[in-house]
Amino acid sequence: MTSTSIVQEALEEKLGERRQLEILLVTGRSLVQGMSMEAEGKRSRRYRLSASTLSLNPEDAQLIGVEKNSRVRVETEHGAIVVNVSIDPGLPRGTGFIPMGPWANAVVCPLTDGTGMPKYKNIPAKVRPTEEQVPSVEELVSIITGRRVDAHPVELDLREGEKKIIEDFVCPFCGDLCDFIKVHLNGNIVEKVVGACPLGSSKIRNYHRDRIVKPYIRSPSGLLEECTLPKALDKAAEILASSKHPLIFGLSSTVNEAIIVGVELAEYLGAIIDNTTVVCHGPTTIGVMEAGAARCTLGLVRHLADLILFWGCNPAEAHPNHFKRWVIEGGKHVKGRKDRRVIVIDVRRTATARMADEFIMVEPGKDYELITALRMAVKDLDIEQSTVAGVPREKIYELADALRSCKYGVGFFGMGLTMNEPRYRSLEELIKLAHDLNDWTRFTVVPMRGHYNVTGACQVSTWLTGYPFSVDFMRGIPKFIPGLTTATDALIRGDVDAALIIASDPVAHFPRKAVENLSKIPLIVVDPKWSLTAMIADVVIPSAMSGVEAGGTAYRMDGVPLRVKKIIEPPTGVMEDHRILLEILSRVRRLRGE
Amino acid sequence: MKSFLIKGGIVYDPLNGVEGEVIDIGLRNGVIVDPSSLDPRETIVVDARGMMVVPGGIDVHSHIAGPKVNTGRVMMVEDHYLTNIPGKMGLRSQTGRTVPNVYKIGYGYARLGYTTVVEAASPPLKTRHTHEELDSIPIIDKMTLILMDSNWIALDYISEGDLKGLAGYIAWLLHATKGYGVKIVDPGADLAWLYGKGYGIDLDTQLPEYNLTPREIILMLGEASTLLNLPHPIHVHCNRLGYPGNYSTTTRTLELSSKYSTGNKISMHITHVQFTGYKGSTWATLGSGGEEIARILRRQRNASVDLGQIIFGSVTTMTADAPFEHVLFHISRWKWAFADVEAETASGIVPYRYRRRNYVNTVQWTIGLEVALLTKDPWRTFITTDHPNAGPFTKYPRVIAWLMSRRAREEEMKKVNRRALKKTALPAVDEEFDFNDIIIATRAAPAKLLGLEDFKGHLGIGAQADIAIYNIDPGKVDPSRDWKIVEKALSRAEYVFKDGRIVVRGGRVVEETYGSTLYVKPEIPEDLSKTIVDKVREMFPYYYSIQYSNFIVDLSEIRKPREIPVKTLL
Ligand code: SF4
Ligand SMILES: [Zn+2]
Repeated sequence: MTSTSIVQEALEEKLGERRQLEILLVTGRSLVQGMSMEAEGKRSRRYRLSASTLSLNPEDAQLIGVEKNSRVRVETEHGAIVVNVSIDPGLPRGTGFIPMGPWANAVVCPLTDGTGMPKYKNIPAKVRPTEEQVPSVEELVSIITGRRVDAHPVELDLREGEKKIIEDFVCPFCGDLCDFIKVHLNGNIVEKVVGACPLGSSKIRNYHRDRIVKPYIRSPSGLLEECTLPKALDKAAEILASSKHPLIFGLSSTVNEAIIVGVELAEYLGAIIDNTTVVCHGPTTIGVMEAGAARCTLGLVRHLADLILFWGCNPAEAHPNHFKRWVIEGGKHVKGRKDRRVIVIDVRRTATARMADEFIMVEPGKDYELITALRMAVKDLDIEQSTVAGVPREKIYELADALRSCKYGVGFFGMGLTMNEPRYRSLEELIKLAHDLNDWTRFTVVPMRGHYNVTGACQVSTWLTGYPFSVDFMRGIPKFIPGLTTATDALIRGDVDAALIIASDPVAHFPRKAVENLSKIPLIVVDPKWSLTAMIADVVIPSAMSGVEAGGTAYRMDGVPLRVKKIIEPPTGVMEDHRILLEILSRVRRLRGE
Repeated sequence: MKSFLIKGGIVYDPLNGVEGEVIDIGLRNGVIVDPSSLDPRETIVVDARGMMVVPGGIDVHSHIAGPKVNTGRVMMVEDHYLTNIPGKMGLRSQTGRTVPNVYKIGYGYARLGYTTVVEAASPPLKTRHTHEELDSIPIIDKMTLILMDSNWIALDYISEGDLKGLAGYIAWLLHATKGYGVKIVDPGADLAWLYGKGYGIDLDTQLPEYNLTPREIILMLGEASTLLNLPHPIHVHCNRLGYPGNYSTTTRTLELSSKYSTGNKISMHITHVQFTGYKGSTWATLGSGGEEIARILRRQRNASVDLGQIIFGSVTTMTADAPFEHVLFHISRWKWAFADVEAETASGIVPYRYRRRNYVNTVQWTIGLEVALLTKDPWRTFITTDHPNAGPFTKYPRVIAWLMSRRAREEEMKKVNRRALKKTALPAVDEEFDFNDIIIATRAAPAKLLGLEDFKGHLGIGAQADIAIYNIDPGKVDPSRDWKIVEKALSRAEYVFKDGRIVVRGGRVVEETYGSTLYVKPEIPEDLSKTIVDKVREMFPYYYSIQYSNFIVDLSEIRKPREIPVKTLL
């Protein structure tokens, strides 16, 4: 990386092989990472501390002589990064965890095997102590992109004024779309948020921080220069109109109204349009194409579920209200937590696992084998091996029996399943397991969707184009070919020649190779906040924060559509996503001679 | 807006008693006007000589929008690969076969000369989604029926025997969802499905949780709809759909229609009757119940049916009859999606293929045609394929050809399963519909069934200027012999006017407009309304996982809402 690191490496080699640890690296969400991202922004100390940390099992840490706050160098086939150490007894030996973010992405595997989904989990990595510094987010991004990182964050003026309480407010953070939130407003100050979890609360309370309030165009000096909105829109339109095969990416944190225009723009331009599904539940969606689905709305979980399975997901940190709303609260038939059996299957003992009745630890990357074994057990077939995926055969029979004999079972699943080697095949198998179980009882499996409207992004895309994500209009007709039209692959292969990123931050969440290529093409960002992508963009267009400063339709993870609300006026001159896209579309049409 | 004069066409307008006469039609500002009132300087003359001029078609039952349709699109992704039509000249690209995207639906209906389509089933909790999709479908007017038979609040009212309360609740629910009418799907089945039951329940099966039977649900919902004077009667998908021997459930359901009807109004519509028209006790002994259904239907003058006619080929079945789809999945063994919706309903989706050589599929094919031909009342037998369940809506001209031509049927019968044919009446049926019958069954009668005959389904002065012109001269073409010409002409309208604008010309969509979404607003007494709202507000947090205020679909969410006010009998 730097010249000092060469010296360092030489030093460390002397320490010998003994101080090197081989692990499987897992990445995923963490609560602090999510909260700090929303509150102070991605350049903040808190974000850095939380996202640039490798968690290790205490014994593993001891083995290489590191402890909390030591620094280690993590090296995979795909890159190396220096991070801080944190100790987590919930992790099994040989597994390490880095929260999703730019540090993790420097070392994850960019290969999608034709699925669009990079490997964010179970990457073989070598860990050894180091004296090197943990790079700051700016350093990291500028090393990867070769661009000057520039940001002009503004904290909006807060003015006291009319006091009101907004009832039934819909939280615009995660796929749970909690719609019972009370927001106490005083002028444009959010004084209190009642009912929201720390993540949602952090987003709503801190809506005014780290904002983009002016449009910018990158100047020849490499820095962002403020300009007028029409100028930024013109520039964005020019870039898009003159490109041959642009990419429109993001959309999962905005409302359907904007997504609809996004698709129209993509169709007009012959662009690829993709949403963040490609790096979260893309494999789930491909699983639906292969096998179908077995879903229910969340209210039924409350009413009926006497068995709840969390598989490869950690709502305690990613959807903090989820457990309370659907597990602890009671409904028509099942009266509450004590009447439900809660089982967690994961590679590490997560915060969710600690709230469960039972935790089953699966070997990293072996979920597919476990689901297959479960299907066999459900069908009363013999399992030959004595353990599958680290789980004893007897346990599998017992679990199969529990699944068959509950009255209404619900399996929530997350990226622990989607980001693995078998990708959609795990999900296809899981859906088929649910199908099998419905010959015995009622059983549904529901994906834990992350961004608040990623479900809506898929729905809109489907009814307009026939495909839920990764749609390429290059030939004038919609095409969906995982591995080709998926945003990740298109970027990794350098297949797109301009990008419009809206309401999303690929620089923070895509593998290094994709980010490198993204920085080589003209880049337009529409966002209310200084995302890492905005900081390296050529054109930055500020937008109203949807769900706070702009209303519209969003879909909960179970497909229930809700209206997010506009409760505060956006900063002067700042438009909502939907309007911005319409403006760009009409300019592009003009430039292309219509 | 421009005005048009459609000159010299051969007009069929059954609601105004016009049967194949040469009449000029004037249109201005989206409505039909007296041609003599048109200002010639601002009028474009459309030469319709030798062509058939009729009102825009109305489809009373099709699955075009909403959560299950969209899941069907994802599931049938292979359908999209080879069926793309690029967007040109201001149009959007079209894709999909059995479950097309919104553009293919809108343009597809328009090309057929259809201008109004009813989405047949929407779960209340997700009707906001249904409206979003309907909003994205170009050209046609649309509306959606709301699923109610397994709705917990409705069942509470029914089990308490509170008819007024039920009526008030229906009014509230239709208003909250901006829906058009009451849909009943395998009554009570989705309630039972939540408990792993609901397979093959019949009219008198006791349902779990509530001390109720499907019969009681149908009767109460029927009665309440009558009390509300809803423009569209209860729309019923019968119990035991898809089970051998179910025709008797259908005939017994039909007989319920006269129990609460008033005057000669249609008080019950039974949908896709083909799927509930099976005789026999097993799949091996399956026979057609078409004759029996036609016999009862002729007598039950307060009931109507649509066919759900089978088209051989691949389809995607999708219905709120969740337990039935589970059964079908065991037969088809490929893909299956289901979704349960809290306190309301459920649905299932299974792709399927109807084969000519298949015994069961052949029996199914005959039933729809038998019911239509033997009832011989186009005012009460509507042409549908229950799109996309029995076939795609784009095949309506083929169904029409079968109804108009014995020869067309014989042609098809040569290719189907012989053993099955012997079990059916169809080979012996000579009946043939004429043009007037077809226009009744696809225009005049559907407009009446939806209670929209004031402005839809006819060409009188003041009617909505939704008009289809087909390049066929009914005086010269003998449909019985030249059924291929008929099928071809009806597949590609020469002109289609939507709200007075030309949207199709020479079988091609030339302009993308957006139609209205119709919804009903029953006026109910204020005190009743208050009682209902209080009760619903009280139950809401218990039954639902979203807030009362967030459930209600606001008019501002709909692109072009059109209210149909309803004077109730309450
Ligand atoms: S769980 Fe999700 S939707 Fe609910 S308050 Fe937290 S972040 Fe918001
Ligand atoms: Zn139907």
